[in-house]
Amino acid sequence: MSDVILEARALERRFITAKPLFGAPTVVHAVSGVDLAVEEGETFAIVGESGCGKSTLARVLTRLIPASGGVVRYAGRDLGGLKPAQIRALRREVQFIFQDPFSSLNPRMTVGALIEEPLRIHKIGTRAERRARVAQLLERVGLPAQAASRYPHEFSGGQRQRIGIARALASGPKVVVGDEPVSALDVSIQAQVVNLLADLKREFGLTLVIIAHDLAVIRHMADRVAVMYLGQIVELAPAADLFTAPRHPYTEALVSAIPLPDPGARRVRARVAGELPNPTAPPPGCRFHPRCPYVIDRCRTEPPTLSPRDADGRQVACHRAGELALDGLGTATPIRSPAARKRFELYRLARAAQAQPDQPPAEGGPTQQGD
Amino acid sequence: MSDALLEVRDLAIRIKGSGRNLVDGVSFGVNPGETLCIVGESGCGKSLTALALMGLLASPPLEIAGGQALFQGQDLLGLSRAQFSRLRGDRMAMIFQEPMSALNPALRIGEQIAESVRRHRGASPRAARARALEMLEKVRMPAPEVRLDEFPHQLSGGMRQRAMIAMALANDPALIVADEPTTALDVTIQAQILDLMRRLRDAEGTALIMITHDLGVVAEMADKVAVMYAGRVVETGTMAQVFGDPQHPYTIGLMSSMPAFGAGSGRLVTIPGMVPPISAMPPGCRFASRCPFRRPQCEAPPPLVRVGDHLAACWRAPLEQLEVIA
Repeated sequence: MSDVILEARALERRFITAKPLFGAPTVVHAVSGVDLAVEEGETFAIVGESGCGKSTLARVLTRLIPASGGVVRYAGRDLGGLKPAQIRALRREVQFIFQDPFSSLNPRMTVGALIEEPLRIHKIGTRAERRARVAQLLERVGLPAQAASRYPHEFSGGQRQRIGIARALASGPKVVVGDEPVSALDVSIQAQVVNLLADLKREFGLTLVIIAHDLAVIRHMADRVAVMYLGQIVELAPAADLFTAPRHPYTEALVSAIPLPDPGARRVRARVAGELPNPTAPPPGCRFHPRCPYVIDRCRTEPPTLSPRDADGRQVACHRAGELALDGLGTATPIRSPAARKRFELYRLARAAQAQPDQPPAEGGPTQQGD
Repeated sequence: MSDALLEVRDLAIRIKGSGRNLVDGVSFGVNPGETLCIVGESGCGKSLTALALMGLLASPPLEIAGGQALFQGQDLLGLSRAQFSRLRGDRMAMIFQEPMSALNPALRIGEQIAESVRRHRGASPRAARARALEMLEKVRMPAPEVRLDEFPHQLSGGMRQRAMIAMALANDPALIVADEPTTALDVTIQAQILDLMRRLRDAEGTALIMITHDLGVVAEMADKVAVMYAGRVVETGTMAQVFGDPQHPYTIGLMSSMPAFGAGSGRLVTIPGMVPPISAMPPGCRFASRCPFRRPQCEAPPPLVRVGDHLAACWRAPLEQLEVIA
């Protein structure tokens, strides 16, 4: 299909969490033998619960931290042996959006200086050109031009995330990696930022890699999804298929645990018992086997490998993949009265009729966070 | 309505000396064994409402500016501190979002649960400890005998939340107020805790007020729903009424903002802008500055009145009639 832009082969990342004076150090395998290929122009999502290694994977993929083993290639180039100057050059093309818009922006810099910084570092344009570019970026992410002279604390969470996005876009990247870019935001603000990211992706021809735990957002945004469990990819598939017909028991558990905003849909079924095991001592065999409702003897001893991509573009790491019939999400359409459906349609039309659908009203301007 | 366990009328909370109320004229009722979900985004006043009911409002700077909260016939808002601490943990209990900061880090789990049993029931240390163990078993804590003597930091987030639920239920309360009890948890653990809460609630007949921002959690748990925006209840009814026949533009906007499963991946229909700060709050309908249906009449505060089969506070509801007029 399309060209692979970002690729990982047998990628490893270990952290030493405790190093006693004598004896063996405690090692966490945060990323353990990950293979994946992100195609140019797609939105690739990595999902999993806390501690599964998804944030570490994102950081290794963008060379924010080095790998402990394996290879990362960006546009065919191995990122392993890069010198600091080459890593800086890479940043121009591969950018990162962080989860927490409160701690990822330097509070002592103005918003203008924050967005201009990547341009300055990469020596792009003259001072005047950079200023113009900052104004243009602010407008594009839906912030007033006066925002440039203000400080991050004067903005709400959603506005700060817009600033983070403008900063990531400043150097004209090809790949943007977002680590939980919308999960700290309220539902109504989250929807605005999701739409903004989709627009920007189309406009600038970006490739997006999104790390998230919110499966509803992922289902909406992603083309393909990789599910991680304890440092490994257990399933990789096109988003629609993954949710309607999961092939790994852990994916099934994740999907069935989502509380759906539709009373008719079904009640939560907690499919997996127990919690994530200690990542410093992952279980032998399949790492999911202690929580898996379909476990057989083979799973306890023999680790499954991620299958090669099949005709539908699906990969799964499960010994029983072929034989299990797993439940996905039905096509749940909310049970609404005809009048209510009309109201939703009226609301949609009324919003579409407003001039700039996803931008904050101009007269509002930046305000303190209210809570 | 007279058999309501808790009846809140016109609750108002403000910062001392401020003219505008952070929580403004909030009313709702909860019957025995019933679950009410209060849903809204940050700053809508849902947590302040919960804290006021439990007598835990930080006062100063906050104060109750008016209203009544009748719990088993007794007005909570007029209680002294001593009266509140006799009530809390006994006939009503609270579950917080962050079990790590709500549990005492220096006390063993068993001691924390036993403490409230001894305090309110006058149980002997031995009986209280036995009750603590029974409660841990009831909330399906893994290895309960071991956890009894562990400290909160030794437990995972899910186990801490189980411990807090055990503590809340220890004295068979009539009412539990849970403020975002599963927000800090992973989705599979959240499913386990919601299952647990539903099972215990049904088995014990406890009434539950659940504060949440997640419409998915509401759909899993609620009998009744109150949607709050900027300190006011904008819509309230049974769960089927609010989800099946939403009337208020904010409720409709909020539901439209959620990526729906199975609905494909078109653009989300959003709510523009954000909640104005309290100093810039519109005098009438507080949602007016973000509402695509606003008209000059929205400068007067809309009353919460019957629209269709439940209550909504919007001058322009029912919206489908606008077509005819416009």
